[in-house]
Amino acid sequence: MQTNPLTLLTRSPLAGVFVALAVIFILSALISPYFLTPYNLSVIARGLAFVGLITIAQSMLMVLGELDLSLGVIGGLCGVISGILMIRLGIEPYSAMLLAIMLGASLGLLNGLLITVLRLHSLVLTIGTAGIFGGVNLVLTRGVAITGIPKKVQYLGRGDFLGMPVPFVIMLIALAVATFVMLKTPFGRYMYAIGNNQAGARMLGIKVDKVRLLVFVVAGGIAGLAGVLMVARLGTAQPSIGDTWVLAPIAASVIGGVATTGGIGSPIGAIFGAGIIAIIENIIVLFGVSPYWQGIVSGAIVVLAISFDAISRRYLRRDA
Amino acid sequence: MAYLETRGLGRDFPGVTALNAVDLSIDLGRTHVLAGENGAGKSTLVKILTGTDRASRGDILINGRNPVDDPALYKNVAYVPQELNLFPQMSVAENLFMPFSRTGHGGLLVNRRALVDEARSYLERFGIEANPRELVANISVSDQQLLQIARACTNTDMKVLILDEPTSSLTRVEVDRVFRVIRSLLDRDHAIVFISHKMEEVFSIGDDYTVLRNGEKIENGRIADISEKDLIRAMSGRDIAFDEHFRPKGPPTDNIMNVRGLSGSRFQDVSFELRRGEILGFAGLVGAGRSEVMQTIFGFLKAKTGKVTIEGKPWKLNDTASSVHGGMLYLSEERKHHGIFPLLSLRENIGISILSLTKGYLGISGGREREAVQKIIDEYGIRTSGMGKRISQLSGGNQQKAIIGRAMATRPRILIFDEPTKGIDIRTKTEIYRIMKGLAEEGVGVILVSSELDELKKCASRIITMHHGRITGAFDTAETNNETLVGAIFGTEAKADAN
Repeated sequence: MQTNPLTLLTRSPLAGVFVALAVIFILSALISPYFLTPYNLSVIARGLAFVGLITIAQSMLMVLGELDLSLGVIGGLCGVISGILMIRLGIEPYSAMLLAIMLGASLGLLNGLLITVLRLHSLVLTIGTAGIFGGVNLVLTRGVAITGIPKKVQYLGRGDFLGMPVPFVIMLIALAVATFVMLKTPFGRYMYAIGNNQAGARMLGIKVDKVRLLVFVVAGGIAGLAGVLMVARLGTAQPSIGDTWVLAPIAASVIGGVATTGGIGSPIGAIFGAGIIAIIENIIVLFGVSPYWQGIVSGAIVVLAISFDAISRRYLRRDA
Repeated sequence: MAYLETRGLGRDFPGVTALNAVDLSIDLGRTHVLAGENGAGKSTLVKILTGTDRASRGDILINGRNPVDDPALYKNVAYVPQELNLFPQMSVAENLFMPFSRTGHGGLLVNRRALVDEARSYLERFGIEANPRELVANISVSDQQLLQIARACTNTDMKVLILDEPTSSLTRVEVDRVFRVIRSLLDRDHAIVFISHKMEEVFSIGDDYTVLRNGEKIENGRIADISEKDLIRAMSGRDIAFDEHFRPKGPPTDNIMNVRGLSGSRFQDVSFELRRGEILGFAGLVGAGRSEVMQTIFGFLKAKTGKVTIEGKPWKLNDTASSVHGGMLYLSEERKHHGIFPLLSLRENIGISILSLTKGYLGISGGREREAVQKIIDEYGIRTSGMGKRISQLSGGNQQKAIIGRAMATRPRILIFDEPTKGIDIRTKTEIYRIMKGLAEEGVGVILVSSELDELKKCASRIITMHHGRITGAFDTAETNNETLVGAIFGTEAKADAN
């Protein structure tokens, strides 16, 4: 109970979501013979990598008590920009990707500045900036994909490393760093403190706005990373990248024990939540559920998962 | 026969017995004082009496019947919590009758005129001065406190009213308004359960008493038959010299802090100096601007004009981070809003202020943090079943001790206590006074903002009075009297005899 890596597990929601993930994994293996095949597992891992990166970013913001609905659109715009830099402007591909990631961080900075300086509500503001960033994407591409991404960077999206898809490995590294920062460093403690009680954090001399701003920047950068990795995986810069990265990461975070009101939860829990969603979506496909029904089925399962979580927590908790 | 009774009531939580064998007997038309230190089990008992928690053992009888069989009986018991629990952005009248269906204002549409008309009679009865159409956010704290009581009384089934520290943010005159309301309720054959740490109030309004300590009933009887000293001994289990004073020994030396012509949005032209070796008290009515002055010096609120120098050097305003870095800490009156991080553990709540001691190349060291936090828990006598417990599950007094312990660990040069003993039992109060005295004698500059004159006279070397955002006097505690101080607090033209 008292040793440090385990404090993760004693943040009680994590134990619940881990059990849920394990149960869903085992059930899926039992009901579908294809589920455990290496090919299928790598499909799940590769898909999880992208949503997972956004989930890490979103869960960090949610711990602060913020939400950024523009993360998916930032990912899409950064992907497209990396394509434009490589193909239309002929910039060296890795440098182009790096520049695109820096663009993502700058867009996060823009969101963060507007939110901290003008004291805007992050959810509402990012609905607006999401519209702007998405619009820029369409103006630049006119809705048409940019093709011809060089083979050498496609490794980052399609390749394997130690038997795992490269983007999945990158996501795990990001998760490890985020977890270390949030649970083991003063900066991370400040994040939880701000999410719990912003005025109280200021009373302790924590530079509240600086912390919030920096997390928006990091989140934007992670979104940019997800976008360019997706371009490397597809081999083309599709304007539609990131369209499905908005709601799933929020649902995943909540399933994983991160409260939308802030102050509690961790990126690891959020990734477990994303894993649950990824497995469910995979099983729906394996069972050949009609695409028309997929939204209903996966939505219903998310509703069930968070209801189950809320009910089990009520019975586990002993609030005096 | 008693209207509300408990017999052998017990409540167990995993690992802790919060209540054990509690007998309580409450009569209509009388005020029953429920006395006990923080963590004695008063809150648990109140939760069981109001039906929000169930007893593990024993029975409750309301009007001779067990409410566990007939939950409608719980409607006869109303509870007014210590913390304000109103809807600030709704009108006084709307707050009064929420939820509308219970008070007969339900239905498809809310008739605002009917609400306001009916509200007027309540406001008059409870001596609330605010307009029923006014938003609650804009009315005075004392009106809000009375409104909470009035709201409980809109429940026509209510026979027993439980008031938890109803006066903790009120001044003496406002307390009298609450007492008038209590007496009129007693005349209407209601029973009042009164929870307060203020002995003066307990003895002026109480008829009967029951003392709880560590979850057990220690004794009960009539207030007329017990002395203040004996009641305090029953609560704390030992003698406390409550007439002891805690003014720092020795004369003050040099100035630590100079404040010159400081103005903010709710106070003007405030100048004073804080000397090394003294506790400087600030007296005034709620809303006089004392907290605002302190929060402005600390950088939490914006200063309009003015200058602060500390140990001769100009002090940067408007930045709490630089204040904390420079060695100044402000402990807010609003523990819930400004002090604790409710979802984090006791360890994390204390640990946040000692990160410079616990961090290393591999991040925060869990072992060193536990060690340092345990030291603070022991030193300040924080009672908890473990440092991993959420701080919001600790009693108010233990939360306050954690906040003070956390502040001490940073070795501040200037420490501002804003109502540090609000809602705190007498033993813990005494511990806090002793800490303040010790700090002042070590050379830390200590400011004490308090609404209790007795507290200021016990602790402060000098007392500065404020009224309506201005300083009205500065007095040497040893050479002044209540009359002079009260005059200055109410803004009558008292002549300052010092500074």
